[in-house]
Amino acid sequence: MAGRLRQRVRSLWATLRSPSVHFSLGFLTLGGFIAGIIFWGGFNTALEATNTERFCVSCHEMYDNVFEELKPTIHYTNRSGVRATCPDCHVPHDWTDKIARKMQASKEVWGKIFGTISTRERFLDQRLRLAQHEWARLKANDSLECRNCHNYDYMDFTRQSPRAGAIHERWLGSGERTCIDCHKGIAHGLPDMAGVPQG
Amino acid sequence: MRALLRIAVVLALLSGAFVLSAQDPESSAPAPAPTEYRSLDALRRGAPLEVEPPAPPMARVENRDLRRQRGWPEQPPTIPHAIDGYQVTTHANRCMVCHSRAGAEQFQAPMVSVTHFMDRDGQVLAQVSPRRYFCNQCHVVQTDAPALVGNEFLDVDAVISRQRER
Amino acid sequence: MTTRRDFIRQSAVASAAAAAGIPFAAAAQNVLLERPATELKWAKAACRFCGTGCGINVAVKDGRVVATHGDVHNEVNRGLNCVKGYFLSKIMYGSDRLTRPLLRKRDGAYAKDGEFEPVSWDEAFDVMAAQFKRVLREKGPGAVGMFGSGQWTIWEGYAANKLFKAGFRSNNIDPNARHCMASAVMGFMRTFGMDEPMGVYDDIEQADAFVLWGSNMAEMHPILWTRIADRRLSHPHVKVAVMSTFEHRSFDLADIPIIFKPQTDLVILNYIANHIIRSGRVNRAFVDRHTRFMRGNTDIGYGLRPEHPLQQAAVNADDPGGGEPIDFDAFAAFVAPYTLDHAVEMTGVDRGWLEKLAELYADPAVKVTSFWTMGFNQHTRGVWANNMVYNIHLLTGKIATPGNSPFSLTGQPSACGTAREVGTFSHRLPADMLVANPEHRAKAEEIWKLPPGTIQAQPGFHAVDQNRALKDGKLNAYWVQVNNNMQAAANLNGEGLPGYRNPDNFIVVSDAYPTVTAQAADLILPAAMWVEKEGAYGNAERRTQFWHQMVKAPGEARSDLWQLMEFSKRFTTEECWGEELLAANPDYRGKTLFEVLFANGQVDAHPVEQIEDGYDNDESAAFGFYVQKGLFNEYARFGRGKGKDFADFDTYHQVRGLRWPVVDGRETLWRYREGSDPYVPAGEGFRFYGQPDGRAVIWALPYEPPHESPNEEFDLWLVTGRVLEHWHSGSMTMRVPELYRSFPQAPVFMHPDDASDRGLRRGQVARLQSPRGEIVARVETRGRNRPPRGMVFVPWFDAGVLVNKLLLDANDPISRQTDFKKCACRIVAAEGRA
Repeated sequence: MAGRLRQRVRSLWATLRSPSVHFSLGFLTLGGFIAGIIFWGGFNTALEATNTERFCVSCHEMYDNVFEELKPTIHYTNRSGVRATCPDCHVPHDWTDKIARKMQASKEVWGKIFGTISTRERFLDQRLRLAQHEWARLKANDSLECRNCHNYDYMDFTRQSPRAGAIHERWLGSGERTCIDCHKGIAHGLPDMAGVPQG
Repeated sequence: MRALLRIAVVLALLSGAFVLSAQDPESSAPAPAPTEYRSLDALRRGAPLEVEPPAPPMARVENRDLRRQRGWPEQPPTIPHAIDGYQVTTHANRCMVCHSRAGAEQFQAPMVSVTHFMDRDGQVLAQVSPRRYFCNQCHVVQTDAPALVGNEFLDVDAVISRQRER
Repeated sequence: MTTRRDFIRQSAVASAAAAAGIPFAAAAQNVLLERPATELKWAKAACRFCGTGCGINVAVKDGRVVATHGDVHNEVNRGLNCVKGYFLSKIMYGSDRLTRPLLRKRDGAYAKDGEFEPVSWDEAFDVMAAQFKRVLREKGPGAVGMFGSGQWTIWEGYAANKLFKAGFRSNNIDPNARHCMASAVMGFMRTFGMDEPMGVYDDIEQADAFVLWGSNMAEMHPILWTRIADRRLSHPHVKVAVMSTFEHRSFDLADIPIIFKPQTDLVILNYIANHIIRSGRVNRAFVDRHTRFMRGNTDIGYGLRPEHPLQQAAVNADDPGGGEPIDFDAFAAFVAPYTLDHAVEMTGVDRGWLEKLAELYADPAVKVTSFWTMGFNQHTRGVWANNMVYNIHLLTGKIATPGNSPFSLTGQPSACGTAREVGTFSHRLPADMLVANPEHRAKAEEIWKLPPGTIQAQPGFHAVDQNRALKDGKLNAYWVQVNNNMQAAANLNGEGLPGYRNPDNFIVVSDAYPTVTAQAADLILPAAMWVEKEGAYGNAERRTQFWHQMVKAPGEARSDLWQLMEFSKRFTTEECWGEELLAANPDYRGKTLFEVLFANGQVDAHPVEQIEDGYDNDESAAFGFYVQKGLFNEYARFGRGKGKDFADFDTYHQVRGLRWPVVDGRETLWRYREGSDPYVPAGEGFRFYGQPDGRAVIWALPYEPPHESPNEEFDLWLVTGRVLEHWHSGSMTMRVPELYRSFPQAPVFMHPDDASDRGLRRGQVARLQSPRGEIVARVETRGRNRPPRGMVFVPWFDAGVLVNKLLLDANDPISRQTDFKKCACRIVAAEGRA
């Protein structure tokens, strides 16, 4: 049994090692390069397609729950029209982290198939667990996705309310707190916060 | 010089007219109306009954964090800041992040008064009493909407000084 | 002489002063070291706003109200108030208080098309009496009428009822409670044969589950909501189900949030009844002994004018309240089609929520209290909805015991105490009696010391018909007190405004402020309000509460009670009663209505010396006897021994209210239950003694479609209602600067997707249109109310946004209460965006 398998692998290896008879080196190099571009481009296009709000809210679970909750908030409409879409906050912008997050997302496909949050009731039952994932991630990366837009160094406290400016200076400026410590629930409904530190 | 004077006079007249029109709700009525429908109610913003007054601009919530005088001691203070998106639900009370006993130092927000710790029987609890949980039932924001009609309430200090002057 | 223009200018100057930030308050000064100077005179009162009936302490200094707070000794609120209640101190001090009668005049004489001019009370009453006499002479008592209020004090409603039904012999008197409570009343009468809840607010501290059926208690009954929040958050097993056609603040406490399609509450109610039966959880012992079953008439129309196609098509438009006896099996078969699948399909609600909701009722271990207000009552099948919620409480026997309570809330401070108990409806007499019942009329005539046959048997025009009759010229002399019906009632353009401005009609409006309704009147009478007079209100839990007069009304403003009684002096029996009645009862000849109604040896039985020391009583001073005590004592005779007993007058001035029936000095908490209700004989357990056989009726009633639904042209549902900060039409709260500035204008709450589909955005000016008219308001896609797609919500407190004019005056054919929660509309951008 093992011997037969070894024989097959050896013959495949031999085929791959032998030089091409019909195709030139140039063709093969170029062809490989183009194929690479197509493959890589396709992968990235597909990846980016899943990285849009349109894709995110194409499932009713997202549209009816979290997207609906986002609409009346400042991250959806505001004075300047600069708005956050789902991936802006929920998908890391850095490539490796992004791929890692995308691999995790395969679990969400599983959830979709088995209807883990297919009704509002089920969603509310899961909300604390789901939110804790996001809070933990943002806490670990020092609220990186917040800071992609909201950079402390460029905050003009005179343009904030006196209360907000003072609190940002004291807690964010000193590095004692990160954005998500105080701003949980900024864009969606909160789960049961019993025992969850806020502020 | 005379030209300047003329301009000044015109300007004064214009501003006078503006003041008058601001004070007389009738003159800002959108259309002439049959006498009997004309506006008496300042809240109609000067419009006769069968005419829709123009919608005033959406008022903005004052967000200056300045405490306001209360009309009498038991009056719940109005909220001196915006509260957009502050969730107060069975799950979370975002007001109490800052206004709790524990939050007061961190955020330099006034702690809710001691009455808020009392239950229905006057017993003091460890944290804010559930009967006081929904802050918005008593505390409201204030917008910059211009007054349509005045109010002649006199606070007790004014009443006392009025009494003494007599 | 002050002209109308001066009058407007004065109020404008006052408002400009306030706008300029002049606070009418003294600056900070040294602490006063003399104790007497800082002393305030405190007295108790009931809140002026909703039907919760919170106790208030009012502080008076030098003739002015200077502070108010929740009464810690009052069981209802134990020291709390909502934001409106906390600002009661300011409601009387709006700078445009009416202080003199205003009459439309031209060339020195009354003219329908004249301008308002201040006149003396004498001139006002002369003109008014001449108009009423003209109409009585030309057309008889059927052409005079009155529109009153659930904000009348008990004695004001009683005096008005007597003046119209006995004095003018006209039953055309109806309260604005018709818009608010009529369906609840008919629901009680059909199921229990007796009005008002069997439970009390104490149910809240006992219940395991709360179900809100079309009631946003977080905003409309905030203090009861504090008690529910207290119960829910203190006891984790407690569940709260909130049902509505749109999401609002009460959903913040919801464990079971349910948004259903308009009108399908009827489906949910029958599904729950069906679920209780199918799952074998009917309390047969209770049902067999204390209930019976009826099948109600169906296809009963929508209370529209008879020529309306929907009325023409309705089979039972002539007998909407009828029905026939059936048995339990027939009832079970009737609700059998209302399965979970059917309910899911009709309502659009998730199965899980519906099942959880049904289990709250079905599970014998859960004590459940249901609350409802306008979602049920302002409904063209509102009486049915009331009956159907009683069905599910009766099937499970979850009724009249602590925590088990179907509880109909009220919107006005004395909708129960005045409108319902005093019977100021066009078909009623005090203590649940009816004008159509000869024995009831005879009893009223006996108590009132009036000749037999004085009271007419035919019910008068109800609220909706009054506006129609004014327009049609059938009702020509009309008096409106303590309400703002031009802003409140549906279909202003179609019925209300043409009615008031009909040249044949003379319209009188008594109010404290120049409201929209006052603006549509011919004579405006300045009214005293709240603690400017001695008063009494009855709240939703049968609690009767009194207060003293604490301050004087401004200028020449007079209470509604004084107005009613003083006006009655201008009429003689000859002018009002007709020769037939007087020929048979010659003793009554030559007397004024004041003499026969109020100086009758009963109402004038108590001298002014009986008024508690330290309090003014302007009415008693004017008439020479303790008016309120006499009226109350005469009124109390109606209910004594009938399950509506009151304590004696003076007691109410000492206590924080008592819940009737008050028997042997003790109030009653749970009615219809042995041991709690003195009217239930020993050994019976329960007795629904409003019904002759002591059995409550379980009504088999179906789902029927609404009167109007969105269509191609008008593609949205319109719902109108209230917000926390303002009460009803806002005539008081919009004049309190803090309340006004917290919510200064009525927007159109709508779903952000509905807005963007129509090219609208938040803050944009839009025109909201229905076949009845249009309003102009700003779009709101954020905030406390979140309608689902296909629906808009507009509050009606804003006199600048008369949204109720868009509604059709369709109503429940049994109760004649208008549906303010359903009509079709559309929204378009207003050209020239501001």
